[in-house]
Amino acid sequence: MADWQIDLIKVVFIWVWALLIAVVMTWVERRASAMMQDRLGPNRAGPFGLLQPLADGIKLFTKEDIMPEKARKILFLLGPPLFALPAFSAYAVVPFGDKIVLGGKEIILQVSDVNIGFLYVLALGAIGVYGMVIGGWASNSKYSILGGLRATAQLISYEVPMGLALLTIVLLYGTFSLREMVLLQQGTFLGFLPNWGIFKQPLGFIIFLVAAYAEANRVPFDLPECESELVTGYHTEYGSMNLGLYLFGEYVNLGTLAAITVSLFFGGWTLPYVDMSKFLGPVAYGVASFMVFFIKQAFFLFLFVWVRWTVPRFRYDQLMGLGWKALIPLGLVNLFVTALLVQLTI
Amino acid sequence: MPRRPVVKKEYTLGERVYLVEIAKGLGLTWKHFVFNIKASFRKGPHTVPTCWQYPEDRREIAPIFRGAHMLMLNNKAQELCVGCGMCAKACPAKCITVKRGKRAEGEEAKYAGKTYSASFQIDMLRCIFCGNCESACPKNALVLGPGYELAEYDMESCIYDKKKLLANYHQAKAEGKLKPPKKPVPVDAPPAPKKPAAKKATAAAKTAPKKAAGEAKTEKAEEKSAK
Repeated sequence: MADWQIDLIKVVFIWVWALLIAVVMTWVERRASAMMQDRLGPNRAGPFGLLQPLADGIKLFTKEDIMPEKARKILFLLGPPLFALPAFSAYAVVPFGDKIVLGGKEIILQVSDVNIGFLYVLALGAIGVYGMVIGGWASNSKYSILGGLRATAQLISYEVPMGLALLTIVLLYGTFSLREMVLLQQGTFLGFLPNWGIFKQPLGFIIFLVAAYAEANRVPFDLPECESELVTGYHTEYGSMNLGLYLFGEYVNLGTLAAITVSLFFGGWTLPYVDMSKFLGPVAYGVASFMVFFIKQAFFLFLFVWVRWTVPRFRYDQLMGLGWKALIPLGLVNLFVTALLVQLTI
Repeated sequence: MPRRPVVKKEYTLGERVYLVEIAKGLGLTWKHFVFNIKASFRKGPHTVPTCWQYPEDRREIAPIFRGAHMLMLNNKAQELCVGCGMCAKACPAKCITVKRGKRAEGEEAKYAGKTYSASFQIDMLRCIFCGNCESACPKNALVLGPGYELAEYDMESCIYDKKKLLANYHQAKAEGKLKPPKKPVPVDAPPAPKKPAAKKATAAAKTAPKKAAGEAKTEKAEEKSAK
């Protein structure tokens, strides 16, 4: 097989995989939240209600696509794809496994190992907010535009601490490539801990996680779409599959953020203390590394759901206060200390 | 009443950092999550303790539940109702219409009394399920049964006629959900007349024995009719 064919297969695979995760996440979100709140959740469509996302998809596709009379037509239609596409594209640099040998050819389980790695992820995350703002603006509705405005303000405030947290990671590993970072996390740290980012950068991890929740517009930071104030925020006026794209993009975003968290702080596809490549065949190793990565990612996806149904929403000023007065100073201190340590040890 | 001053709670450092509190909260939701997951793997109906999945799980109703009405039959499968119309009189929603008919020769096997209800209609849309008709009935013929699935497709079907009321009885009997026989209410002997020291007390005492006597009468009547 030619290289471009392999690349195509990888692209299609990761696209379908991201979609699948998003679909299953909508089910997990509803069932897990039900279990946490002593309810049952959707359990009519298929076994355990597993076909519920399918039913929802059919419903969204068959609904009438309503556009407000005074909406800006082109921008209104541009919003949802602009939100969903960056979310999908960010998957391109996620190292979802080590490598697999098929037909005598070594295939790296990553669509493209870009050397600017997560700068690309950050850039796409920042583009994603355009989808919200444009959708909110084009709807010509007070709730939508307030949602869009909040999304912008929130994204701007939380890009900074996120960037600071990631900067410490870059200082530590000396690379932007996500694959190389994962490779550097093999082995042990201080003799007994796994050599993971979280043990080297606990504060950085906390800052990153909080910022990630704000980036993904999840509770407790779901101000852009908070139901009690803004109906549903920036996608109030949307219906049919346009709304579906927004909801989908959100879950794909969660998947990306969980994947980035895993590959930066939790050693990606590596297992602690065990080197899988030594006792597994080349094909089995590829599959195993993929599974390990997926399990770690699944945990963080579940954490998103778990936190959502535990914590109430922040007030808007609290959100801004947390971002500017707590996370950014903390991030700066963390960066300074890390820089000092790195400088002293090298 | 003096207003209590509002005391603002001072948060400790741990509470202000908020992460520990979130972890505690996560623990709580996790407990619920695990409990419900475990419960959902149990066998049998009504596994998740907080939810009744209605068409599959049906709630156990109390033996004296006041649901859809039924017209009772006695042991010889005779209709107890004599068509006196006491229930219609007692009904606060005025939803019962009874027409009385005289028992003809050769109908002794069908009706217990000398008269019977030629037609008996209950408008279930107006009924408030107070149970006054049941307690007014001198023959214990009209009873509020265990049925609670009262939805219909049109208004006409919501007016229960005699056929439906008897069918309700047969259904309840088949399911073994007939009400247990009433316990006789113990009637105290009327208290001895007191000296008119306190007016209120005497007034209360005067009405009380009357009531008690009335109840005793109806009780006796009911017992007789039951026999």
